[in-house]
Amino acid sequence: MGRIVLKNVTKTFGETQVIPPLDLTIEDGEFAVFVGPSGCGKSTLLRMIAGLEDLTSGAIEIEGEDATEVPPAKRGLAMVFQSYALYPHMSVRKNIGFPLRMAKMEQSEIDERVETAAKSLNLMDYLDRKPADLSGGQRQRVAIGRAIVREPEAFLFDEPLSNLDAALRVGMRLEIGELHERLKTTMVYVTHDQVEAMTMANKIVVLRAGVIEQVGSPLELYHKPRNVFVAGFIGSPKMNIFSGPEAEKLDAATIGIRPEHIGVSMTDGLWKGRVGVAEHLGSDTFIHVHDTGLADMITVRITGDIAVKHGDTIYLTPQPDQIHKFDDEGLRN
Amino acid sequence: MSDRKLPRLLQTPAVLLLLVWMLIPLGMTLYFSFIRYVLNSLRRPEWTTPSFSNWRGFGNYEFVLNSKDFLFAIQNSLFIVCSILFLTVILGVLIAVLINKTFPGQGIVRVLLISPFFVMPAVNAVLWINMILDPVLGLQGIAVGGINELIDGLKDAPLVGWFFGMWPELQPISFRATQTSAYAVIIMVTWQWTPFAVLIFMTSLQSEDQQQKEAAVLDGANTWSQFRFLTLPHLARPIAIVVMIQAIFHLSLYAEIEIVSRGNGNKNLPYLIGEFANNNIGAASATGIFAVILANIVAIFLLRMIGKTLME
Repeated sequence: MGRIVLKNVTKTFGETQVIPPLDLTIEDGEFAVFVGPSGCGKSTLLRMIAGLEDLTSGAIEIEGEDATEVPPAKRGLAMVFQSYALYPHMSVRKNIGFPLRMAKMEQSEIDERVETAAKSLNLMDYLDRKPADLSGGQRQRVAIGRAIVREPEAFLFDEPLSNLDAALRVGMRLEIGELHERLKTTMVYVTHDQVEAMTMANKIVVLRAGVIEQVGSPLELYHKPRNVFVAGFIGSPKMNIFSGPEAEKLDAATIGIRPEHIGVSMTDGLWKGRVGVAEHLGSDTFIHVHDTGLADMITVRITGDIAVKHGDTIYLTPQPDQIHKFDDEGLRN
Repeated sequence: MSDRKLPRLLQTPAVLLLLVWMLIPLGMTLYFSFIRYVLNSLRRPEWTTPSFSNWRGFGNYEFVLNSKDFLFAIQNSLFIVCSILFLTVILGVLIAVLINKTFPGQGIVRVLLISPFFVMPAVNAVLWINMILDPVLGLQGIAVGGINELIDGLKDAPLVGWFFGMWPELQPISFRATQTSAYAVIIMVTWQWTPFAVLIFMTSLQSEDQQQKEAAVLDGANTWSQFRFLTLPHLARPIAIVVMIQAIFHLSLYAEIEIVSRGNGNKNLPYLIGEFANNNIGAASATGIFAVILANIVAIFLLRMIGKTLME
């Protein structure tokens, strides 16, 4: 049903090519997340799928039919915007019902569908309020409600959580995940936050400067990053990446080791360093280690708490099977 | 309490000045409206100096109410103001939406559009009534003459001549006439004030949320629906502001009325005041008080209306 195929898609704004030729298939029912630093073209790509941006060349297929020239409203897609884009003069009820009203649906049917959507999103008490009287999370739910009443082939989310505070973001993340489980509809989600990508996606598409760096499941990307960029982008805290003699020993130009794969000792180990800032989260401790001679700073993550002070000497030992090796061009070898 | 005394003390001069500014003219108008006071009278020279001994009570008011032009002036005031508001708001919205799109020469078009607003009202009136609306020498006369000549020529044409032969000769409209002078004023003031409306609506359109429009596009709204459900509600507030400001200005139109027809068939309260003030200051003052009352009624309605839109 909601299978989306991009074939040789490109986009140029004036002289600059934002998206070089790009191929991508999003299977029906998949939760695909486009992730990458800002300006990597992920939003442009989503807007091209939605039909809000024209393609410079290439084709888009939705459900096996060419949709390149189909106007946005006829593509059967619903989009949730970063700013929510609610209509400020209409009540929540009218906002959610707007796409149905535009589709010239019977009023009784509209009411029914709006009520169903509102119930599933816990919006029943707010139906007659205006968007200005709602909190950020409620507005986001109204925007999602407006998308689900249309029963689209696929949902498009354009950084929907970035205007929410941290606690709400976690809650909404779960709600969107739950929604996907319930509806089993294709979802395409754009974010710059790799945590959102890791927690929600079936398939992550890592983009940089319009180029797909890697496509895969969250754990594939975590365990087998295809290149240095993906290695550094996926995972929090960031992977420690460095080159030098230590890398040459392993026949690699660059090696990377994730903070959670480094053992710590106060007495002996492979690498010696000086403790900088230690961030105690209770469940975990992030220790930033300086003067190892490997990189400016090595981050280590250990479970539980450890009594280290700023300036202490510390010894680090990487788990050998967890070291990622990259060649001269930054590709995994 | 003492910490409030100083600010109040410092405000006092400004407040006093404002009160004097407002109350002295109003008080004098009230005073004149209750006495017999004329500029020139051979028969009753004592009426030419204002004095309490010439007290007339509500006589001036009665005289004004019973004068044949009073009711007409009020109706005509409202007619002119409402017509101008209606036309400027509609034209303003349409032009603003039209030029809000990007096109080559946008800057020049915008400057040209705004320029009528900088023409002085009297100049505006002279230009329109003599150069554009004049039935003989104005553009109107030339255009009507041209069309008539064209039709005359076509009457002799083969095949279609009989069709044009049945057309009547067009007559230019004399806009200084009793029946049409109000329309002339409405046309010229609309021309002058539409740019004001365009300016306000255009700035408002530029602040319209583009993501909302994109969301509406995806929701299946066509151009008309986007205008009807997004742009118009977005413009409600600026429309209210344009209506209020213009209503206040156009209740006191004078120059245009004077120049078009000297009040022939077209008076409003300020013009009536001017007519009385040629000699009868008492009656003019009483009319002034009526004008204050009318302006207040209009203002209360407008403030209610605008207060409501601003609250939303």
